[in-house]
Amino acid sequence: MTPFLKNMLVIARRDFLAIVATPTFLLFLLAPLFMVGMGLAGGMGASQLADSARGAGRIVAVVGADDVEALRAADARLRASVARRVPVLEVRIASPANTDPVAIAREKGSDTYAVLSGPLTAPRIVEREADSNAGRYLALLADDVLRSKAAGPLPPVAPKYEALASGGSSIALQQSLGFGAVFIIFLLTLLLAGQTVSSLAEEKGNKVIEILAAAVPLESVFLGKLLGFLGVAVLFIAFWLVMALAGGLIAALQIDPAALASMQNASKAAAALTAAPATGWPFFLGMGFVYFILSFLLLGAVFLGVGAQAATVREIQMLSLPITIFQVGMFSLSTAAASAPGSSLSTIAQIFPLSSPLAMAARAATDDSKVVHLLALGWQAIWVALVIFVSVRLFRAGVLSGGSSWKFWRKTTRG
Amino acid sequence: MNDFSVEAIGLTKYFGDFKAVDDVSLTVPTGSIYGVLGPNGAGKTTSLRMTLGIIDPDEGSSRIFGARPQSVRHRIGYLPEERGLYPGMKAREAIAFMGALRGLDWSEGRRRAATFMTELGLERVIDEKIRKMSKGMAQMIQLIGSIVHAPDLIVLDEPFSGLDPVNQERLEMLVRRERDRGATVLFSTHVMAHAERLCDRLAIIARSQRRFEGTVDDARSLLPMQVRYTARADADAGSIAALLPTGAEPRGDSWLFPIEDADVEPLLARITGSGLGVAGLSITRPALHDAFVHIVRQVDASFDADAGTDAVEEALA
Repeated sequence: MTPFLKNMLVIARRDFLAIVATPTFLLFLLAPLFMVGMGLAGGMGASQLADSARGAGRIVAVVGADDVEALRAADARLRASVARRVPVLEVRIASPANTDPVAIAREKGSDTYAVLSGPLTAPRIVEREADSNAGRYLALLADDVLRSKAAGPLPPVAPKYEALASGGSSIALQQSLGFGAVFIIFLLTLLLAGQTVSSLAEEKGNKVIEILAAAVPLESVFLGKLLGFLGVAVLFIAFWLVMALAGGLIAALQIDPAALASMQNASKAAAALTAAPATGWPFFLGMGFVYFILSFLLLGAVFLGVGAQAATVREIQMLSLPITIFQVGMFSLSTAAASAPGSSLSTIAQIFPLSSPLAMAARAATDDSKVVHLLALGWQAIWVALVIFVSVRLFRAGVLSGGSSWKFWRKTTRG
Repeated sequence: MNDFSVEAIGLTKYFGDFKAVDDVSLTVPTGSIYGVLGPNGAGKTTSLRMTLGIIDPDEGSSRIFGARPQSVRHRIGYLPEERGLYPGMKAREAIAFMGALRGLDWSEGRRRAATFMTELGLERVIDEKIRKMSKGMAQMIQLIGSIVHAPDLIVLDEPFSGLDPVNQERLEMLVRRERDRGATVLFSTHVMAHAERLCDRLAIIARSQRRFEGTVDDARSLLPMQVRYTARADADAGSIAALLPTGAEPRGDSWLFPIEDADVEPLLARITGSGLGVAGLSITRPALHDAFVHIVRQVDASFDADAGTDAVEEALA
């Protein structure tokens, strides 16, 4: 091992242990629990609200007594084929007491989306909203009733459904996979990389920086710190990955396999799982992880360099907002690129160093060429080195030479 | 191997328009103890930092063991003026960490840490965290950390400040022992007593420039010897004044005056011949302290050697 690497590991080890071996780290590690908890509570509340609202919704058809049976049969037939969710159909027999559809629509106790009344050949449909699906559906029902009356009873259609076993992945699914990769990498770097901004503040505060600067090249101090933080980030991810896997396993054991199978058939997520990214799952996941590391290193290096110039804790706090906004900017650029693969925007996002890891991870989902990723990794690694190089030069010229009052926008050293 | 461990030539550094260090050269013979003396703010620390390559000089260059300072880091030990350790680390780990930075094995570093601390009477706090220690103790820990890898060059910036007399003595012992091991020691101080006892050679920096370089004796011989003469009780002041060179000052019963080396024997002959008698007579070289004050005053008339803390530390030393 070269002395440079060795020095880097000494620094990384110190930082990693100093972060991990504290009670605060436990809080940091478990922080997503709060998010999950809040999300669950919010989700449950929202779904309860939606359920109660859904129970109350209805559409009403006021028809003659002889049409009731045919109407119910038509509703049973058509309801399954309509993609949208249709509110419960309430059928009423027409009588002089209840002919005013407006009055029915305004009845309290439930949301009435549309009311059909009058003869089926020329029904009057009162809608809550113009051109609503509920109204169209009632018209469709009337039409169906009339047709079946005219044609007489027909034998039921007995279709045989066949699914394409491996029909390939749709481009839309691949794009959403790419978007998912961008989002996850962004979220993780947002949560984890921002910490590096304050990492040199400790050494500047307790004056250890001079020991480090005298003993090892500053490049290895900077890189070692990045590496230490990366270690923390990977530990964090590994912890939650294990938790998620364990949770999934327990859930799978608890739930009846048949129920699980039927659930999978219904859910869209399962469809996404059967869809493969263009480069294949193992490559896609592997590259996703590698791109996360590079995204972390790149952003972390920038933040470390900027934070190293800050003289006080307050300055660091002030810096964290522009940094977060900058990250969100990179995220928007990359998502725009992910939704338009092959466009010049996506090329820009893939080349611009700070958005490159995100955009390239998305590209792995939609484009099956693999060599380009090697190129991208090399390109991003060059930028990590470049950022470190520049940060160290600035730090040496400024902070170490000029004492503690040095500001990066005010050059006090000559030459 | 070169005869000089450190060859820093013509170091110059500007802070803005202020010339903090002006053409300072330090050449330290291998195996010697070398002192850099100077009043506060003279440019000692900046000179040492440039010598070690921590900051780049605007002019001049520094070679250590004939190479760039950055390429021989593992052979150097350095105690910065601004002390600093990670407060959350245990003493043993802190020392091993500093050793590891210079390429020493962690386990070997821990082992040596315990040995050093026991020798220096710190065995009680080997596994204590730095934040629980007194400032002086932490400083001793940092000192051990800067020599734990047995470096060939040890650079100590104001190592004695902040230590009590017992620890100052231990530190002097440690410095001599490291020199005897074969290391070269370069340290800065503004307390003359340590320099006088320890240094083989020294440089005096004042007002950003090097004003003197040589041995302790060289420095002391910059000033003429001092004579303190007390005549027998019955002699009258006028006849004594006539006997002594002009410029002699009465101080109580005694007379004080400087004397050139060549004038010593004639003076003795005159005193013996005059019959005024000798109740007391001493002819001494001035201390390093006086030479230092003399040198600094030449460039900085307002320099006050007895000001505040210096005097206290001088007394402690």
